[in-house]
Amino acid sequence: MFGGLHSPSLPSERALLEIAREFTPRVEARGPTPVLLDLHGLGRVWPAPEALGRAILDSARGRDLVAHLALAFSRTAALLLTQARPGLTIVPAGAEAEALAPLPVALLGLDSDREALFHRWGVRTLGEIARLPATGLAERLGPEGPRLRRMARGEDETPLVPTPPPESFECTLELEWPVDGLEPLSFLLGRVLESLCDGLRDRGRRAAGMALDLRLVDGKLHSRALRPAAPSIEARTWRTLLLLDLETHPPHDAVQALTVRAEPTPSRAVQFSLLDPAQPSPERLAETMARLHAWTATGRAGAPALLDTHRPGAFVLGTFAPGPAIVGASRPAEPRAALRAFRPPLPAHVSLRDGGPAFVAAAGIRGTVLDRAGPWRASGDWWDAAWSREEWDVLLSTAGVYRIFRDLARGEWFVEGELD
Amino acid sequence: MPSALKHALEDLLRARRLQRDAPPLRGEDRRLRPLPTGIAAVDGVLGGGFPRGQSSEVFGPASSGRTGLALALLAETTRAGALAAWVDPSDTLDPAAAAAAGVELRRLLWLRGDTRSRPLPASIAAVGTLVGSGLFDAVVLDLAGVSPGDVGRLPGATWIRLQRMIEETPAALVLIAGAHVAHGPGGVSLSLQPKAPRWSGAPGPGRLLRGLTAEARAGRHALRGVGLELRALGGSSTPEGRR
Repeated sequence: MFGGLHSPSLPSERALLEIAREFTPRVEARGPTPVLLDLHGLGRVWPAPEALGRAILDSARGRDLVAHLALAFSRTAALLLTQARPGLTIVPAGAEAEALAPLPVALLGLDSDREALFHRWGVRTLGEIARLPATGLAERLGPEGPRLRRMARGEDETPLVPTPPPESFECTLELEWPVDGLEPLSFLLGRVLESLCDGLRDRGRRAAGMALDLRLVDGKLHSRALRPAAPSIEARTWRTLLLLDLETHPPHDAVQALTVRAEPTPSRAVQFSLLDPAQPSPERLAETMARLHAWTATGRAGAPALLDTHRPGAFVLGTFAPGPAIVGASRPAEPRAALRAFRPPLPAHVSLRDGGPAFVAAAGIRGTVLDRAGPWRASGDWWDAAWSREEWDVLLSTAGVYRIFRDLARGEWFVEGELD
Repeated sequence: MPSALKHALEDLLRARRLQRDAPPLRGEDRRLRPLPTGIAAVDGVLGGGFPRGQSSEVFGPASSGRTGLALALLAETTRAGALAAWVDPSDTLDPAAAAAAGVELRRLLWLRGDTRSRPLPASIAAVGTLVGSGLFDAVVLDLAGVSPGDVGRLPGATWIRLQRMIEETPAALVLIAGAHVAHGPGGVSLSLQPKAPRWSGAPGPGRLLRGLTAEARAGRHALRGVGLELRALGGSSTPEGRR
C-alpha cells in the first residue's frame, strides 16, 4: 500500500519528509508537498489501514501541521487523492479509477493550453478523461494523451524513487563527567572522528573542513574551525590538527559535551605514476605545517618567491604548497656562492682610500680591506620609495668576503651580507 | 596489473636506470641512495653525497662556501622532485641566491628565525618536526649565523636526539656552522677552508668578484682535500647580477 501525504499550508520540504520517515524509509518527495510513502510491510504493526492512517495524521498534528492522507494500492491514486480530499481517504484495491473519477482535471498538473483544450472538449473530471478512447487521445495529444488517461485511471507510470535522507556529518558526545585537559579529550575526539570519517568514506566524501564545538561546564561554548590546505578523510590527521589547534587555543574550563561537524567534499581521484616521484601526502603536509604553527602564524615559514624588481632583497614568503614536480629542470653550469644576508643591513663605518673602501667596521665585522671590486651603482623605485646605492665586494683581513654598499640618498655605509 | 609483473617491471627499470638522479620508485628504500650535491669533486669525497637517515655537518670560517655548498645540495634535491627545508635561526638565507643556485623555490620550506628572540631552541624543535614528518629529503640547519656560545648552551643530548629521530627517515640533515658541531655515526663531517677569492682583473673600476675558492676535507683525519670553486653571485647592480 502507498500513502500520499499532503499539506495545504505549504510546509517546508523537510516537515512532511520527517513525518513520513517516522513510518517508512522509502519516501519520495514531490516538491514540498505532496510526499509519497511506501507503506508495504506495516500490516503487522497496524493491521487496519485506518489505524495506520490515523497514526500518520496524529504525527502531523503533533507537529502543528494540517495534513491530508490518502492510502491506496496505486501511487498515482494516492498522490492525486491526497491533494483533493481532506482528512484520511482509504481506497480499496481495484477501486482507484472509481475513487479518482469525480476529481477535477486540474489535479493532473496540466499547462494552461492543455487545460483550456479539455475545457473546450467539455471534459471536466478525471473520470471523463478515463473514458476517452486511448487511440483518439494519442492521435490528438501525442504520447501525452494515453499517459494522462492512465493517470486518470490510477495506473502507475513511474516507480517510486526514494528521496535520500539529508547528509549530516555531525557527531555529538555528551559526557557523564566533564573532562579537563587535552589528553582525555584526545581519546574522545578520536572516537567521534572515526565514526564521522567512516560515514564520509561510505558516501565517497572527504572533509574539507572540521568544526569543533566544546560545551564547557560553565555553559559557554568553545568553538574552533579548521580548514587545511587539502581535504582529508583520515581521523588520525584530523585529531592531530584539532589537538594542535586546541593546544594554542585551549578551553578555559572542563568540557561537558563535544560536537564535531565535517564539511563534506567529493573525494579526489589521484592517478599515481610508477616513474614520477611520489608527491607528499596532503594530509601529512597539513599536519606538519600545523605542528609548525608557531612559525606559520607569524608569517616566518613558507616558500620564498622572488619579486620582479631590481631592489636588493625583494622577496615574499608564500604558503608552502609544492605542486607537481618538474623533474630535471635546468641548473646552473657551475655551483654558486651565496650571499648570507644581514637583515637589516649592518650600519658600518668605512674608511676610504683612493676612492674605495680601505677599512670596514660593523657589529661583529672589522678588518682592513685587502682586495675589492666595485663600485657598481644601482637605483630604482623613483616613483615610490626611491633607493640608490653603490656596491662593493671586499675581502677583509679576517679572510671573509663581504658585500658593502653606500646608501647614496643618506650617504651612509652598510654591510649587506657575507659571501659564502 | 598482477603484482609479479609489476615487480618484474620495476626490477627492469632499476637495472636499466640511466640517470643517477632518476626519481625513486614507489616502495624503493631511498635511504640507500645518498643525496648528491651535483659538485663532482665534493660528491667524490662524500661517497656519492650526503647520507640519508644521518645528520652531517659542513663547517668552516666565513666565505668558505658552506652556504653555496648547502644550496647546491638543495638544488639537486628539488630538481629531483623532492622537498627540502632550510631552518634559519639567524634569518640570513637570500632567496635570490637560492634561485641562482638552481633551487626550485616552490619546493623549499624556509623557516626564518626571529632574531629579536632566542630562536635556536625553537629551530631545533622545528628540525625535529621536519625530519619526523618524512616529507623532506634534505633539511639544512644553518648555525653559521648563531654565536658559538648559543650553540654550546644547547643540552648535550640535542644532537643525539635529532640523530635518533632521523635514523628511520629518508631525510639527510645537514648542519652548517662556523666550527665543528656534531654529526651522526654514519654522517659526514665536511670542513671547508677558504682560499683566495678570484677577481676579474687588476684592481680598478669595473672589476668583479669572480668567485670563491676553498678546500674541502671529509672527516677529521682526511689526508688531502679537494678544491671547491663557487662562482660569485653578482649584486643587483653588477652585470653578473642582472643576467
